[in-house]
Amino acid sequence: MNSLGVLMKKEYSQVLRDFKVIWLPLVFVFLGATQPIMTYYLPVILEVLGGTQGISIDPTMIEQTGGQVLAATLGSQFDQLGIMIIVIAMMGLIQSDKSSGMLAFILTRPVTVSSYIGGKLVFNYLLVSVSVGIGYFISLLYIHFLFTSVELSQLIGALLCYLVWVLFSVSFITMLSAVLNSQALIAIVGIITLLICRMLVGLHPMLDAVNPAGMSQHAMNLLISGSIGANLSINLLVTIIWVLLTVIITHYWILQKKFHES
Amino acid sequence: MKLEIKNVTKKFKEKKAVSQFSMVLEIGQCVGLIGPNGAGKSTLIKIIADILHTDEGEVLLEGKNISKMKREIGYLPQYPNFYEWMTAKETLLFMGQLSGISKKELIKEIPIMLAKVGLSGEENEKVRTFSGGMKQRLGIAQALLHKPAFIVMDEPVSALDPIGRREVLNLIQEIKKETTILLSTHILSDAEEICERFVIIKNGLKIEDTTMIDLISRNSKPVVCVEITPNDKFWIDIVKVLPYVKSAETIGNKVKITLDDIAEHKNKLIQNALENNVDIIRFEMDNNETLEEIFLKLVVGA
Repeated sequence: MNSLGVLMKKEYSQVLRDFKVIWLPLVFVFLGATQPIMTYYLPVILEVLGGTQGISIDPTMIEQTGGQVLAATLGSQFDQLGIMIIVIAMMGLIQSDKSSGMLAFILTRPVTVSSYIGGKLVFNYLLVSVSVGIGYFISLLYIHFLFTSVELSQLIGALLCYLVWVLFSVSFITMLSAVLNSQALIAIVGIITLLICRMLVGLHPMLDAVNPAGMSQHAMNLLISGSIGANLSINLLVTIIWVLLTVIITHYWILQKKFHES
Repeated sequence: MKLEIKNVTKKFKEKKAVSQFSMVLEIGQCVGLIGPNGAGKSTLIKIIADILHTDEGEVLLEGKNISKMKREIGYLPQYPNFYEWMTAKETLLFMGQLSGISKKELIKEIPIMLAKVGLSGEENEKVRTFSGGMKQRLGIAQALLHKPAFIVMDEPVSALDPIGRREVLNLIQEIKKETTILLSTHILSDAEEICERFVIIKNGLKIEDTTMIDLISRNSKPVVCVEITPNDKFWIDIVKVLPYVKSAETIGNKVKITLDDIAEHKNKLIQNALENNVDIIRFEMDNNETLEEIFLKLVVGA
């Protein structure tokens, strides 16, 4: 087996032993189920808590389509709590190897830096993607019963767009994990940067094109309106460039052994 | 196969940790890198293990840069921190596969290696539960697994208690028959026990590179000390003109006599004294200095 395979297998046994393979999908299942359930029962909850005096909201007016609710799952659940969970789950990716000396130790073997980073990124991106996918599917399941169904092509297209944004998040945190030395700092910088990216979406079309979080917006647009946004291809290209940039910085940092000198 | 360290210099910020360090290691040697704390031993070891880059100079193994010869190097860090959630067997499997050995071969080799380092029966225990000595022995197993030409060890026994220290020293005695070893230590008696060659480093500079025998013989002078009664002072003048005596120096009732060759001439000297009816009170050879005294003299610069 080549060293990339060995390192990926090691990542696999590690997430198995610390139960990340269980809790990460569970968090996304919980997040995915929250949005449709809350949306469906909100009128009931409001009625019970608020009574019917004064201005009342006509429940039929806020009736949402399945696509809208699914878009809200991405925008209000995955992009907020979900991102934070991803940051927290991934912040120690390289940092813990650095502080325990395992990174230096592994690199004394004939292992390339690329296969070390590759093993980390590929496996953990798969883990996060599967978790997000499961959460997305659970959300869909509730939406199917509580609201209208969503067209399959939109469904898959939106998920793929969204996973590009997730890829950027994972590679960005991996970079922070290689460059910074304190887990708290990695978490804070990671969460703030990613949330700011997400908040900047929609301010200006130029900004959206270079913002990796734009991919999340494209996914939501696809679910709500059923059509692909104008600058999806540019946004996709720029996001992939961002991902490559973070990987190159991570690679450079480890290859130049910068992590020893702080 | 030989390891060449050529003019290696490493700076951290402005502080030079290692400066212009050169040495050559031949196969089959066991070399001790000795120096006080902060002398640059660990930095040098890390450069040889290709963990740190040099600022100047290079490390060559068989004429090739060390980073291309990682397969031929076995490295034991000062505190081997394996993944604590792995078992001993998994650790060796993981490190072995990274060294490019097939899984099949490892399954066969690992029990033999664990037996060699005295960890049989612990293969399915988590590394988390291991003592310092056990981790160190697992580290040695890991360093030996891919049968490297060189093993580099950073303070292999310094952090261990007397029992762990003994275990690891015995193990190194055992493996040095088969491989070339470079180890750093600040505990001289350990180095004295297992190494034939010493390289002493101070403030990043190599100040001595020698063998044990050489170091001791160089630091012991061919001097005998004879204590005589005041009436026999005349003998000193006779001694001074003897062909094998270089010089004689009187300190009270004692005479310090420097000989050409102490082993050959000291009995002749006694004979001469007896022939002259000298009343010898004491006759002694100047004691050889211990490695520790020599080390202190070199390092402290007394």
